[in-house]
Amino acid sequence: MNTWDSLLLGLSFALQPHVLVYCILGVLLGSFVGVLPGIGAMAAISLLLPLTFYMSPEAALIMLAGVYYGAQYGGAVASILLRLPGTPQSAVTTLDGYPMTQQGRGGIALFTAMVSSFSGSLIGIVVLVMLAGWLSGLATRFGAADYAMMMIFGLVAASTIGASRPAKGFAMITLGVLLGCIGTDVNSGAQRFTFGHAELLDGLNLVALAMGLFGVAEVIANIRNPERQSIAARIPLRSLLPTRDDLRRLPLPILRGGTLGSFFGALPGTGSTLSAFLAYATERRLARQPERFGKGAVEGVAGPEAGNNAASITAFTPTLTLGIPGDPIMALMLGALIIHGVQPGPMMLEARPEMFWGLVASFGIGNLLLILINLPLIGIWIAMLRIPFNYLYPAIIVFLCLGVYSVRGLAFDIVLVAGIGLAGYLMTLAKLSPALLLLGFVLGPLIETNLRRALLIARGDPMVFLERPISAGFVLASMVLLLVPLWKIWRRKRAAADF
Amino acid sequence: MNTSITWRLALAGAICSVVLPATAQADWPSQPVRVFVGFPAGSSPDVLARIVTEALSERLGQPVVIENRPGAGGVIGIQQMLVSAGDGHTFGTTINGPMTTAQRMMDDTGFNVAEDIAPVTLLATSPLVLAVASASGIEDLESFIAAAGAEVDALTYGSVGQGSGAHLTAELFAAEAGVSMLHIPFTSYAEVTTSIIGGEINAGFMAPSAAMSFVEAGTMNVLGITSSEPFGQAPDVPLIAGNAGLSDDFRAELWNGFIAPAGTDEAIIARLSAEITEILSDPEVQERMLGMGWQVAPGTADDMADRIAADTEMWGAVIDRIEAQ
Repeated sequence: MNTWDSLLLGLSFALQPHVLVYCILGVLLGSFVGVLPGIGAMAAISLLLPLTFYMSPEAALIMLAGVYYGAQYGGAVASILLRLPGTPQSAVTTLDGYPMTQQGRGGIALFTAMVSSFSGSLIGIVVLVMLAGWLSGLATRFGAADYAMMMIFGLVAASTIGASRPAKGFAMITLGVLLGCIGTDVNSGAQRFTFGHAELLDGLNLVALAMGLFGVAEVIANIRNPERQSIAARIPLRSLLPTRDDLRRLPLPILRGGTLGSFFGALPGTGSTLSAFLAYATERRLARQPERFGKGAVEGVAGPEAGNNAASITAFTPTLTLGIPGDPIMALMLGALIIHGVQPGPMMLEARPEMFWGLVASFGIGNLLLILINLPLIGIWIAMLRIPFNYLYPAIIVFLCLGVYSVRGLAFDIVLVAGIGLAGYLMTLAKLSPALLLLGFVLGPLIETNLRRALLIARGDPMVFLERPISAGFVLASMVLLLVPLWKIWRRKRAAADF
Repeated sequence: MNTSITWRLALAGAICSVVLPATAQADWPSQPVRVFVGFPAGSSPDVLARIVTEALSERLGQPVVIENRPGAGGVIGIQQMLVSAGDGHTFGTTINGPMTTAQRMMDDTGFNVAEDIAPVTLLATSPLVLAVASASGIEDLESFIAAAGAEVDALTYGSVGQGSGAHLTAELFAAEAGVSMLHIPFTSYAEVTTSIIGGEINAGFMAPSAAMSFVEAGTMNVLGITSSEPFGQAPDVPLIAGNAGLSDDFRAELWNGFIAPAGTDEAIIARLSAEITEILSDPEVQERMLGMGWQVAPGTADDMADRIAADTEMWGAVIDRIEAQ
């Protein structure tokens, strides 16, 4: 069956009325829960799961997938307007999105995020359709050594994002890596820094960390600073529409972000986190005035948003064609299919083409719906900022606690978010970047586990990192990233010495 | 002071246990029943629990609500069940780990199986299959053992973590086969699968449902299964027991069971145990569970207590051997 026939099969499947209804339901619900701080796709899908027992497996999958990518649209709203990212990838969106809101350009930031999300998803769909076979094999070609070096490359590339000074950036990444050490060590089974609390055996709760560092910290900072509370009231209506200059800046970042995202999304693990950070780092490196970043550059919203949405589309390939879920939410969806007796795996494309291609077609339909629904809503979301802060902030805190509690149902995590929030506020005072801390927290443990696993498998021979071509490529790329700035400094010094 | 309160409580408890049982059982359940599951919604322990509680709630005439408290390999769920215990309407499901090996693997689980847990009944068991990449050319257990025995740590195997069922099963197998393999811990079967197919590691014990689709696709070979009888979901896979020089009583299974906090009325436990046994005899329930890789294993509370004792001893010996290395 060629690509065209496959797509037609998928479309005819996804356009059946009962399937379409579930698709609409999924994306609506997704963009709604995405807006609520902390209550992300994970909580929504866990709640919906028992209901899917009574649906056909195809409809269930399409609805849950709709919640998954729909939540990314909603997540951008909370990140941009309130600095409340529920995931590490939307933390990247806050870097420039929130400063835009503070400048009264929140509507433009939202517009940029929506258009970039939509275009990024389209790029993801095109890549998925063209390269489904290749993408599904990608995961098995990556070994522990390759993952370790790829993530080190990611850390190096992103290390200066959002930091006022490189040293501060490295410090935050290191702190994040250290926090990531909390919990059970995969390789030895040892329990680190758990202080006898079983709640800490699986590590710090990521949602609690993100909500504390960004949300709670921001609320405290705003209470202390009455000037910042009134910004919302001054937003003029015309600021909802992007200027010609804004529009001119969008296409290339979207294209680059979408391409990066499509590739990294197909790797199980941290595809979408890594692609958002790398897309941001790429835009900043390519920009003529990199100093604009972190102060409200539209490219800083466009690239990462395109990246994480493209990644959320291609992330379905390893889940469905290998039965390998890339993140806990994908694992939930896999669970939903298995309940229905559908075993995702290498036979999926052959055995149930209508399900696979139907899902792909539903991505297109769902994203179209999402942008049609969300663009007109921008005005309403902006109006939310006009709510007096003495109502808005307590409401934010309540939702945030609900969201954190919904992950594991443990009161421990709420205490945790309060403590982290306080630390996060101190970090804002010291101008330290919480986004980099999150990146270190997510990648650090994965780097450690994969590095040690690679060495264990190679019986302790470190040459394994240079012998595998993929790993060697990332080592080389990391070296270039580290050495080029040093070389530039050295050349400048020598030029100065020649005078 | 403390002793006097304890005494009064004990006295009150003694009076209640004399006076209440008949009424307790007649009225029970008088309110919604809560079942704590130590794994997230959608995971296989969660789905098994849902299949049972769905039917249970019809039979008991009260809602049976699942409370997911995931974390620490199922230990958090049990801790949370114990915190809420005492109303006679709080129960839990568990996998084998927290009941048999967690006390050895963790600094402090916060509970003692013998003192704090009252078994109700086993729900289902799942064997593991030994899988290798088909590119390895290994097609049966004998050639696998020969390859593994060529030298110490000649082959690597993956598991889902230190002390996991897959790890301990592989070590039990290695000890019985007289070989030594290098353990590579992962965090999920998905990662183990990718690594085997990618040729990075050599083997792994994994769930039949996860392995069989790769066998069908021709990328994996399964060499044997750890159950004592052929398994419905993978009927063609030979038993490891009695094969390639291994003993006839080789058996290693994961299981799922229904538990209550210690001190729960025995009549209630007996009633629950009987109701669940009937639920598990429904062919439709059996088929749904088998589709997920689980074979129903109904029985009495005593059967489950025996299983806990036997497995704790068997896996304890394996852990002793690993620690001695």
